[in-house]
Amino acid sequence: MTALLGSRSDVPTDVRPGTTPVPRRRRRRFTVESTAPLLLVFPAIAILLVFRVYPLILGVNFSFTGDQELNGVFIGLDNYVTLMNDVRFHAAARNVIVVLLFVPIEVFVAGILATFIFLKVPGHRFYRSVYFLPVVLSPIIIGAIFNIVLAANGPLNELNRAVGLPIVDWLGQSNSALPSVLGVHIWATFGMALVIFLAGFSTVDQELLDAARIDGATLPQTIWYVVIPELSQTIQFVFVTTTIGMLTGLFGLLYTMTAGGPGAASYLPEFLIWKLNGEAKPALASAASVVLLLLILVIGLLQIRVLRRATKEV
Amino acid sequence: MRSTGVARWLIAVPMAILALATIYPMLYTLNIALKTRYDYVIDRGGLTTTFAFQNFVDAWTQANMGRYYLNSILVTVVSVLLILLIASMAGFALSHLTFRGSRAAFLLILAAMMIPFQVIMVPFIKTLSDFSMINTYPGLIIAYVSQFLPFTIYFMTAYFARIPKEITEAARVDGNNIYGVFGRIMLPLGRPALLSMGILNALFCWNDILISLLVMQSPSQRTLMVGVSALRGQYPDNVPTYLSGVLLVVLPLIVVYLIFQRQITAGVTAGATKG
Amino acid sequence: MKRMINSAALGLAAALTLTACGGASAGGGTGGGSGTDGGTADKLVVWNWGAADDAAAAFQEDVIATFNEQNPDVEVEVVSQPFDQYYTLLGSAIEAGTGPDVALFNGGTQLKSRAGSLVPVTDELADITGDLAGWPAFQADGETYSAPMFLQGFPIYYNKAIFEAAGLDPEAPPTTWEELGAACDTITSSTDVSCFALGNKEGLGIEFFLSGFGSGIFTAEEYDAWIDGERDWTSEHARQVLTMWSESSADGWYNEGANSTAMFNDSFDIFSGAKAAMVIGLSSGIAHWKQFDEFLGDDLGFMMPVTTNEGTTLALPIEGGIGYGVLNEDKKDLAVDWIKATVERDAQADYALAGGQIVSNTTVELDTDIASAQAIITELPGSKPLLHTSLSGDTLDLLHRLGQQLLVGEVTVDEAAAQLQASEG
Repeated sequence: MTALLGSRSDVPTDVRPGTTPVPRRRRRRFTVESTAPLLLVFPAIAILLVFRVYPLILGVNFSFTGDQELNGVFIGLDNYVTLMNDVRFHAAARNVIVVLLFVPIEVFVAGILATFIFLKVPGHRFYRSVYFLPVVLSPIIIGAIFNIVLAANGPLNELNRAVGLPIVDWLGQSNSALPSVLGVHIWATFGMALVIFLAGFSTVDQELLDAARIDGATLPQTIWYVVIPELSQTIQFVFVTTTIGMLTGLFGLLYTMTAGGPGAASYLPEFLIWKLNGEAKPALASAASVVLLLLILVIGLLQIRVLRRATKEV
Repeated sequence: MRSTGVARWLIAVPMAILALATIYPMLYTLNIALKTRYDYVIDRGGLTTTFAFQNFVDAWTQANMGRYYLNSILVTVVSVLLILLIASMAGFALSHLTFRGSRAAFLLILAAMMIPFQVIMVPFIKTLSDFSMINTYPGLIIAYVSQFLPFTIYFMTAYFARIPKEITEAARVDGNNIYGVFGRIMLPLGRPALLSMGILNALFCWNDILISLLVMQSPSQRTLMVGVSALRGQYPDNVPTYLSGVLLVVLPLIVVYLIFQRQITAGVTAGATKG
Repeated sequence: MKRMINSAALGLAAALTLTACGGASAGGGTGGGSGTDGGTADKLVVWNWGAADDAAAAFQEDVIATFNEQNPDVEVEVVSQPFDQYYTLLGSAIEAGTGPDVALFNGGTQLKSRAGSLVPVTDELADITGDLAGWPAFQADGETYSAPMFLQGFPIYYNKAIFEAAGLDPEAPPTTWEELGAACDTITSSTDVSCFALGNKEGLGIEFFLSGFGSGIFTAEEYDAWIDGERDWTSEHARQVLTMWSESSADGWYNEGANSTAMFNDSFDIFSGAKAAMVIGLSSGIAHWKQFDEFLGDDLGFMMPVTTNEGTTLALPIEGGIGYGVLNEDKKDLAVDWIKATVERDAQADYALAGGQIVSNTTVELDTDIASAQAIITELPGSKPLLHTSLSGDTLDLLHRLGQQLLVGEVTVDEAAAQLQASEG
């Protein structure tokens, strides 16, 4: 395995040789200064290579073998063929895109609330403390609570009934199940994005705000022409962190709220993989992991690309 | 911004409702935790009349919470410290130093950040098992570190990138080497970000069930949240006891948050310079 | 960032090529749980799910004591896992080579789909075969993999007080599908409770429906053929099950939002809380005669499945519920002792009463005056195995999903039948 790791760790540097602007300091090789950066990143990279990249490779290997009586037998792409015919797999892949459509909503909600807190609406200190509270709770608990809140005879539908809206079985209908879970996820995590936004607000130039006020700008004008341009970098950062949260943090809620249903309507990659492992089909689960991870990485990295530079390029 | 006086009050109303909506689930949970099982079945939504504090005692003893508290504290504290140390080292190098392969390293971190744990669950456990780390505290700690490290590195890189190069260069002029700059300048300046990430990672470790269940199979080594989730059998029937256990798990988190929350928000604000 | 994406693609391509060559080597050699501590003979690692209530805990103590009488130097480590994660945890552990020596399984589909990882114990258990009922759920391909601890069935319970309030005779529950439909109409129109409590969030509702009503729908020959694996989902009676399921929902038999109601334990709480007149429940574990009795007392009634088609023979659907399977070949002898300890007569007798179980040991007499328990026991001789537990894991999962879609009209009976038939392969 050490040989394997050795060869892997060479890959990144060899992928695009010479693209990194390396200052030419050949004479000062192996000094404290030249080795320091490598020593500083080494623990992180080593951990990720051993406990992320290596398991991934194991998983890729494993995906070409069979389950049950075919355990350990090389079966080529059979698992991948099986997946292509599984409606749950289709649903999981499609839903990754649905999930990413909800990212802008969370960013918007957190951004607008942070703006109001920054502008010191009455009670802003209180809101700032309280909005973070759901972040503290485990998704399992949040899911359990919202199961009750969203039930057909739950408080939300009571409210609907009171104002004359139709009753909706939020988690029991194909078209509303996943959006409901995502809505709860936003509720549960916007506090984190809010805190990041508030940190970003501290970098907004107070003089610009004062100038806007002197010019008689309205609140929406101030937000649109002063606050947003000043915050572009923070917004990008929140976009990335929210995307990560959506891609990796939905299992607990999904598990407790819909368990993928009704039908396969709310299946997500992590849930499908979990389910297949529970059905004693670990090799098939590995194949699903490979395909769905590629999908997640491509979409995720594309999204970051669309945001151009999330942070200063390194 | 003339009309903002009235507008602010108008905006405050939905915000206050949202605030209530964030507190409501906690109160709801507390209400159910204080019901007897019988009352829960008969009338789930109504206010408790029984105040069954015995549920908390039952949860504490049945879930062996005394022992599991210690386990969870140990694992969480060590994991978080390791994550913060390794992440701030890497974040400093990636944001302020140039070296061959930095782009590839950052890419690896970005990609690792997007991997849901379930995707690598089985081969990861197999890897841990190859290192004989199943059923050991170091095994669970390395599992948490590898799971939560990438995001923390990303966060620290972004944060450190906001610290102007002039500050680090000034420190170099004063005779510090790279490690001196890291220890004397970056870590103190990064304190607010480290605090936020510390709290967040502590939450993740503390609330985790899945990773802990997979790595720690021996009952005496389990963590708190796992112990509580085992209060539910095949048929989760005693919901009030279970929720009592859940509240006992969450309580220290809320206390810690309330103690540190001003420093988290105010601290990040003070530490950030214009990017 | 463009570079980043490009190099990502390159890196992944490199990783894939690297690994494709080594294909078979890393994948092999897994499965077949070796105990956590390898070869130590003085420890038996046992996995099960929750022993949260006092009766279950006491039963576990009894079993350990019995086991230690025979193996005084062996330490038993019982690991209680949360049930909702149990099979994934177990599968992952077996796959990673860190599984337990012995693990608890549900009979039927769950055990049979994992028979490949289990050690057969046919000969070792031969001497206790006569004492216990419910073996078929733990047998596959002519081998026995475990001994049933309890019998699990799907009896229909009803609330006599609600029948009375609706103007129905509480002592004469419906006996045909038409009568049942009429009773449901009466209940929903004259009271504000639902006719049946249903939780279909996990998709379990339709399997309760299939097994609960099956003996009144399928002829005895069809029933036995179904159990033996000769199933035709497009046949008249199989389609009838799907139609009845779909129509009972359209006719408003169930509580609102059944698809988002958890069967365990929300739907049973609806019945316990007298918010539904009937429920297809269980005979052991939970949602059974003893637990409903706590809430409903003398109002609790038990009824047999109803006759839907002429020429059917009504039978109580019940079979072996749960039992321990052996994962570690090296500790087979200890494991067999453990399995035998779990079906030991005295421990079972105590637990039957305290925990509300219909135990597998036929020599145990259930000393209770709860009428529905005695009624269940009376029906045991003519009982039949459950229809759904003979399905493959794939078909069962598909049935769960189609059951949810049928319930809200997102799929037609024809489509559902065709998909199910296709999955039988």
